Amino acid sequence: MTLAADLRAFGAAVRKDWRIVRRYPTQYVGLVFWPILLPAVWVLAAQAYSGGDPRALAAFAARAGTNEVAGFVFVGYVMYMWLSMLLWGPGTAIRQEQVRGTLEAVFLTPASRLVTLFAPPVAALPSLAMTLGVMTAAMWALFGVALPLDGLLRTLVLTFVALPALYSIATLFAAGVLRFGEIGGVVQTVRGTLVLASGITFPVLMLPGWAQAFASAMPTTYVVADIRGVLLGGLGLRDVAGDMALTLVLSVAFGAFAVLVFTALERSARRTGMLGRY
Amino acid sequence: MTAAVDARGLVKEFEKGRRTLWQRVTRQPDMRTRFRAVDGIDLRVETGEIFGLLGPNGAGKTTTMKMLSTLLEPTAGTITVLGFDAAKEPRKVRARLGAMLSGERSLYWKLTARENLEYFAALYHVPPSETRARIERSLDVVKLSDRAEDYVERYSTGMRQRLALARALLPDPPLVILDEPTVGLDPQSARDLRDRVRELRAQGRTVLLTTHYMDEADQLCDRVAIIDEGRIVALDAPAVLKRTVRADEIVRLEVGVDGDGAAFLERLGRAGTVARHERRNGTLSVAVHCGSARALVPAAFDAASATGATIRHVDVVPVTLEDVFIALTGRALRE
Repeated sequence: MTLAADLRAFGAAVRKDWRIVRRYPTQYVGLVFWPILLPAVWVLAAQAYSGGDPRALAAFAARAGTNEVAGFVFVGYVMYMWLSMLLWGPGTAIRQEQVRGTLEAVFLTPASRLVTLFAPPVAALPSLAMTLGVMTAAMWALFGVALPLDGLLRTLVLTFVALPALYSIATLFAAGVLRFGEIGGVVQTVRGTLVLASGITFPVLMLPGWAQAFASAMPTTYVVADIRGVLLGGLGLRDVAGDMALTLVLSVAFGAFAVLVFTALERSARRTGMLGRY
Repeated sequence: MTAAVDARGLVKEFEKGRRTLWQRVTRQPDMRTRFRAVDGIDLRVETGEIFGLLGPNGAGKTTTMKMLSTLLEPTAGTITVLGFDAAKEPRKVRARLGAMLSGERSLYWKLTARENLEYFAALYHVPPSETRARIERSLDVVKLSDRAEDYVERYSTGMRQRLALARALLPDPPLVILDEPTVGLDPQSARDLRDRVRELRAQGRTVLLTTHYMDEADQLCDRVAIIDEGRIVALDAPAVLKRTVRADEIVRLEVGVDGDGAAFLERLGRAGTVARHERRNGTLSVAVHCGSARALVPAAFDAASATGATIRHVDVVPVTLEDVFIALTGRALRE
């Protein structure tokens, strides 16, 4: 039961998911279509509302910290897709195993539960990369949005800092799936709430005061804002160091909570026999 | 010598009925009752034997297997598997256990057999240097080497069951547990799988299996625990269990009767022990335990002619585990 053995199991789980995904090639059509359609709709709507008026753009810049509307929406959607994959990936993976009937077989092995939880989001990375590639190309061709290379590198650092907090939230949902089976309705509600609170398509400043207070307790809010800052606002890592520290503190809190909840709900699932049902 | 499995006072309770979300939100009283799927089982499986749990559907066999394999937490009782406490060291138990619990659905149908085994070999922490050889050996044991590159979705049910067995063998486990391994298989496939199970014992492994097929338990198992309503009602070698039925032969009769057949049964009971009778559409099916069918069959014809009944069919069979089950519970295994 070594770490090396679990890492090999992790790699095998990623390969398994890649193989299965490859055998349903029609889903790649969606990977090309939606990354263009979704952000483009918001950018076109913003252009229609502002009518190209400089005062409207100035008002937007005052709230968003950038006058690059298309870039703002683009980064928001990139973040949305990344967060969706990270936050719902583990829960979705467990749900698929439940429905397919393979969950018990996987849980009969000595492999760490982390393999089952987090290999699927890693396996989804090529699809995500393809989505982002299409989105980047579309935003550049349609709206002239070009992202700076140094900003992309800083984004990578922010991404790694945010991972523990996001995986912790993801673990909470996965634990819910393990114990209760279908929790799609809850996931959709939380997903919508996070989209609103994290400022995916609009600045968080547009929210009412109480909602901004809620948003300030969510790691995703800082992640989205900081990545926008380094990509569009030219901020350096020092400028967002406070937020990164806060994200790490939230990671510890969410992480401890996630471990407790997952352990309790997995045990509950083993008590009720939920591992073998869906 | 350490037993392969040692379970003491095993109990598993589940809730019966359902409680809707509305009932929870409105804090209505919980009307669910609890029932014991497993009710105080003591079980010791010795190393190197094929041990069978025989019982009807719903007797608690699968629940017991899931507790032994750490998938279910017992309500009470202790389980030691290969010397490890299943509650305290579940990963060590899983690492040494080859289990085939949910059969064909437990495989990835969109992967080939080899890809399935590659994945599970990694989950079982098989060293990379041994993975290929283990997969080849497992495929060979279940006679699927020539179909290793086919998608599992193209397999028959029997082939999927065999592949599930191959997966259970990947960790080279000293203990293999099989839950209803031949359910849904045609006779040839079932026979093949039973042959594979015998080979496992020949290799020195311990096999614990559940079945509701009495012939399977009789042919395969060194010892059998007969389980009913969550309790073990008998446990011994099949031959010993069959000797508990005080008869050398069983005569099964199908008799046409006008009434309830009570008079016929009363007369028949003078010649042998009526172990079981069931009347359906004017036909009385009777199982009679006796010392010798040669004496009983003429007595049955005499009883029929004396009571106006008509004997339509006579079958003389040796004592089976089903007869043991009937003698112990008053019911047939299929009920």
